[in-house]
Amino acid sequence: MPTLQLAEITQANRPAQLPLLSKLADILATSPAVTHLMVRGSLAHGTADRLSDVDFVVGVHDAQLPVFIEALDTLMSVEAGALLPGWRDTIVADLGGLGMVFLVPDDGRLHQIDLYLAPASRIPRLRETVSTAVILDREPAPAATPDIAVAESFAAAFLARPRTCTELLIEHLVLAVLLHKRIKRGQRFVAYSEWHRLHTATKDLVKTALAPASQFWGWYQLREEIAVTPIGRACLGDLDAAISGPAIPEAADVNGAIERVLALVERACPQALDNLHDAVTAYRTYQELV
Amino acid sequence: MNASGDAADVTIGDCAARPTGLLGNMPATAAFLADLGLNFMWVRLARLEGNAFLWEHRDYDELDQVERHRLHIPLHTNSSAFLVTGGTKVHMAGGRIWRLTPTYAHGVCNLLGPDRIHLIADVYADDTYRRLARRPALHPAVAEPLPAADQTTLAERLETARNMATLGYTEAAERMLLRLFYTYALPEGTAYDLIAELHTSLGDMEAATRWTAAKRRLLALTA
Repeated sequence: MPTLQLAEITQANRPAQLPLLSKLADILATSPAVTHLMVRGSLAHGTADRLSDVDFVVGVHDAQLPVFIEALDTLMSVEAGALLPGWRDTIVADLGGLGMVFLVPDDGRLHQIDLYLAPASRIPRLRETVSTAVILDREPAPAATPDIAVAESFAAAFLARPRTCTELLIEHLVLAVLLHKRIKRGQRFVAYSEWHRLHTATKDLVKTALAPASQFWGWYQLREEIAVTPIGRACLGDLDAAISGPAIPEAADVNGAIERVLALVERACPQALDNLHDAVTAYRTYQELV
Repeated sequence: MNASGDAADVTIGDCAARPTGLLGNMPATAAFLADLGLNFMWVRLARLEGNAFLWEHRDYDELDQVERHRLHIPLHTNSSAFLVTGGTKVHMAGGRIWRLTPTYAHGVCNLLGPDRIHLIADVYADDTYRRLARRPALHPAVAEPLPAADQTTLAERLETARNMATLGYTEAAERMLLRLFYTYALPEGTAYDLIAELHTSLGDMEAATRWTAAKRRLLALTA
């Protein structure tokens, strides 16, 4: 039987995200606080395309979850070159932890990196419900009950904390990256969902900036609360323009929405852009390069 | 262009620069350099990727016998790529030739990318150079003073670094402190001092000593 030379073909067909996945795994696994590292989603199932995100589940010792989460933005910025602080993922299913999404430049384009950070005590249950590929399992000792309580309490408080204008701006930028992916793939239903989510984030941004103490839920009483100043009326005009667009966006609609929300932020809560001007410029550059 | 004409030769030193084979494939660049008519010591393309840094340092210290200057010609850049010297941030925009005196402590960064690509030419001073440099200008808007960092801010950053090191991310903690040079106007070598202080607080005196020595070497401190 002749020996076939398949290495070159194998290399040519490996997912483009693999070097970045490997780099990020090395970064995360450096800390002994990380008990498990798993990949989920399309890269775990072999169905990834060039647009696929990199999806990690990161198990962290229960007692160290708070300090790990607090260090994560710095870690991802310094070691991975993340463009922005992490976006608190509101789309991901609740598996007992926290989802954070980062935008990381690599090889001239922005990659979406999803990190689901779970207390080590939740990993066995998580693995029963989510299909993952394990790349690290340090087989930690069972967590003590007080440590489990620390992690649960921290996660609950983290998720319950109202988002700031900066976080809502980052949500827009991340959702726009997702939307461009959906549009390229022709995923109309998911694009519809994420487009609506973007508009909801715009509504939340307007309310956080101009009516932070609002007693009204969701979209109720917007005009009554917001349209009492020229700035408020202009922001509601932006929101009206957003929801008056197509139900399923094209790429130009997404780009227009981002420019509209950046102008809204300059008008209503300019401090949200503090320290983010270069990041926004870089974001625009990378989006143009795609 | 370098001493040997071999593009792989990257140790910079005094010489009469010779074209490399790489320059032979870059006729526009070759023509541009020829038009400048300068007395080149070394000419190279330098690519600085996103999230890449040249930490605070001095150059040329060992080359002090002849007057020479470092010129930067930006070919591709972005607003998060800049140089810091003397607590001032300068983004070298395209369309200009920039002169750096590298014997002053300086650092370079490209925080967010995309790649920054500069043509860097070390040139000897002669009449051609003096004509080129006879009206140097630095528009006030280009040089942006960095804010000072008070002791509270530095203490907070050191605490963040300590937490990262405690998690096991020691090198990340060091890099976080080194990056302060690009955010704040700091006295020379402060970032290295902070790293030494970090390691001292963690009980790693070997690392603290190593970083103190690195500071002296990179900043060419003799005292």
